[in-house]
Amino acid sequence: MKSLIAAVAVCVATTAHADLPHVLDDHIRPAIANFANASAALHEVAVQDCSAPAVIPAYHQAFDAWLGASHLTFGPIERDGRALAIAFWPDSRGACPKALAQLIADADPVVDDPVEFAEVSVAARGFFGLEHLLYGDSFTAQDYTCRLVIAIAADLERMAGDIATDWADYAQVMTSAGAEDNTTYLAPREVDQTLYTALLTGVEFTKDQRLGRPLGTFDRPRPTRAEARRSERSLRNVVLSLTALRNLARAMADAPIPASEAAFDAAFDTAAALDDPIFAGVSNPTGRLRVEILQQKVAYVRDALAAEIGGGMGLSQGFNSADGD
Amino acid sequence: MQRRAFLAALLAGASLPGATWADANNPSFLAAAREGDGGYTLFGLDDRGHDLFRIALPGRGHAATAHPTAPEAVAFARRPGDFALVIDCMRGTISHRLTTPKGRHFYGHGAFIAGGRVLVTTENDIASGQGLLGLWARDDGYARIGEITSGGIGPHEVLALPGDVLAVANGGIRTHPDHGRDKLNLDTMRPNLSYLTAEGALLEQVTLPAALHHASIRHIAWDAGVLAFAMQWQGALPDAVPLLGLHQRGAPPVLCTAPEAEQLAMQGYAGSVAIAGETVGITSPRGGRVHLFDRNGAFQQSHLRADVCGLAAGTAGLVATDGLGGILAVRDRLKPLSHATRAWDNHLVPVG
Repeated sequence: MKSLIAAVAVCVATTAHADLPHVLDDHIRPAIANFANASAALHEVAVQDCSAPAVIPAYHQAFDAWLGASHLTFGPIERDGRALAIAFWPDSRGACPKALAQLIADADPVVDDPVEFAEVSVAARGFFGLEHLLYGDSFTAQDYTCRLVIAIAADLERMAGDIATDWADYAQVMTSAGAEDNTTYLAPREVDQTLYTALLTGVEFTKDQRLGRPLGTFDRPRPTRAEARRSERSLRNVVLSLTALRNLARAMADAPIPASEAAFDAAFDTAAALDDPIFAGVSNPTGRLRVEILQQKVAYVRDALAAEIGGGMGLSQGFNSADGD
Repeated sequence: MQRRAFLAALLAGASLPGATWADANNPSFLAAAREGDGGYTLFGLDDRGHDLFRIALPGRGHAATAHPTAPEAVAFARRPGDFALVIDCMRGTISHRLTTPKGRHFYGHGAFIAGGRVLVTTENDIASGQGLLGLWARDDGYARIGEITSGGIGPHEVLALPGDVLAVANGGIRTHPDHGRDKLNLDTMRPNLSYLTAEGALLEQVTLPAALHHASIRHIAWDAGVLAFAMQWQGALPDAVPLLGLHQRGAPPVLCTAPEAEQLAMQGYAGSVAIAGETVGITSPRGGRVHLFDRNGAFQQSHLRADVCGLAAGTAGLVATDGLGGILAVRDRLKPLSHATRAWDNHLVPVG
């Protein structure tokens, strides 16, 4: 009898849709609101005191809040290329320090005009622009760099606010998927596909970029490529991103996801034991192995989500985006 | 008969009698899809995105090439495939199977010249890595009748322009079937756009500045003297490199980009290109975007749509297909034309 119940449960799961009200109420709306609030607080702090010691705690809080929402790479965050303007990383050409140096060298008055500043290269804006200024060796709260810090914080507040405003409408667009006048989601299934793609893309970004870039190759590890290493956020970003992705997975699923839960737990345990906030250890064999193990655990998270959420809803990653030609 | 003389005779031949696309309900487009049950199918579609015919395929293909007059399509195996299927779209049957000669494989696109009597296919000479165009005689049961150099490495899409000039996107990436799709020459790759005669004479070749040598030129479209080429960036990302170029014979190419944040959002990848009237479009399934430019290369608009890739000119403007089963008219916004439980594959192929 027990096995029959299990079989019925599996059948129900295979025709499931993502629990959209749950996803919106318990995951997306709080994450977007949190980011908007933290960005506004960051701007407020910077206006009062633009020195690095004063701004850094608010910078961390806002960056933490961004990691709660950064995987929602569809709709409002995707619009106008906002995701990269908020967090321009990886920066393989060193565009961020170059763009900042140019602004500073010119004492470019663009910092005093929020509308104009929104058109500045994304490399100079967002959290990585701020990080370079707040943690740069040469940072002093001189007049111009101070105005630049305030301008970046104001720009973050503006984008986070626009995203929150846009989400009010966009939630309705998701909810009305398949309706006659809905030209964004032609069927409810497209909402499932969008959420699932965001979920897996988020895990893969952490595996391939946040962990993969500093790992480099065995012969050539690249510790200086760790994300946000100046502010020592590399591991923190991994953990916070995985936390947000676990929340999304839980909200999406309408059945227990024990394999995914176990895989997340294992990844969090490995991260907690790592004791290497900026993955500096990739340069020596022991340290490297530990980061590789974390990467492997994140790969297991991906596989478990693909099996439980993707398999449960009959979804796979983008047909064309995952396999170009 | 000498091969060259045979080819010359074919190229000079009269147009074909027999069945026409009207006998297959006059499709505007061909598109391959993965269906809900996991099977692969070639669809004939009308201008509004509705199914006219469906023909089961043995597996996932890449692009199809439509014969200019006869209701016949050539579907290529995914690269590095060594076979292509000629599909009779009137009867829904496979009429011929093309197999590459030893030491060659297909790259996934083809074009008809000589009024539809000769099929041209992009191929790899596996031993040397040089790009080739294979020539096949339709009247002779698609017999292999020759090959010419493509003018570069890794030819991807080939188009037949008026006068049977062949435009070839030589993507520049060397691959070897022993290594699947591994890219063997990223450090030294140098893509080009080549214009050739069917006899293999190089008429003109366009290369990009050295700083853009990682921009693999892969897909092309032509309309009224303008050739649009779409690129895929093989360097590090994010990078706001151009993904579209416009070329007119004898002039330098014009490279086209959207504003920085939009350009970055394309993720260095353009999957298809098409020209309809004054509008040139490229798609990025990775960025979930369609970018529109005018014929001078000025950016017009960005439309968001997940997994969008197929793009072709219809009678009333551009039409796009996506991996979610949507067919969309590309206007000042995306206007859904039809939707089905299937994933449209990379390309939407115009007929006629």
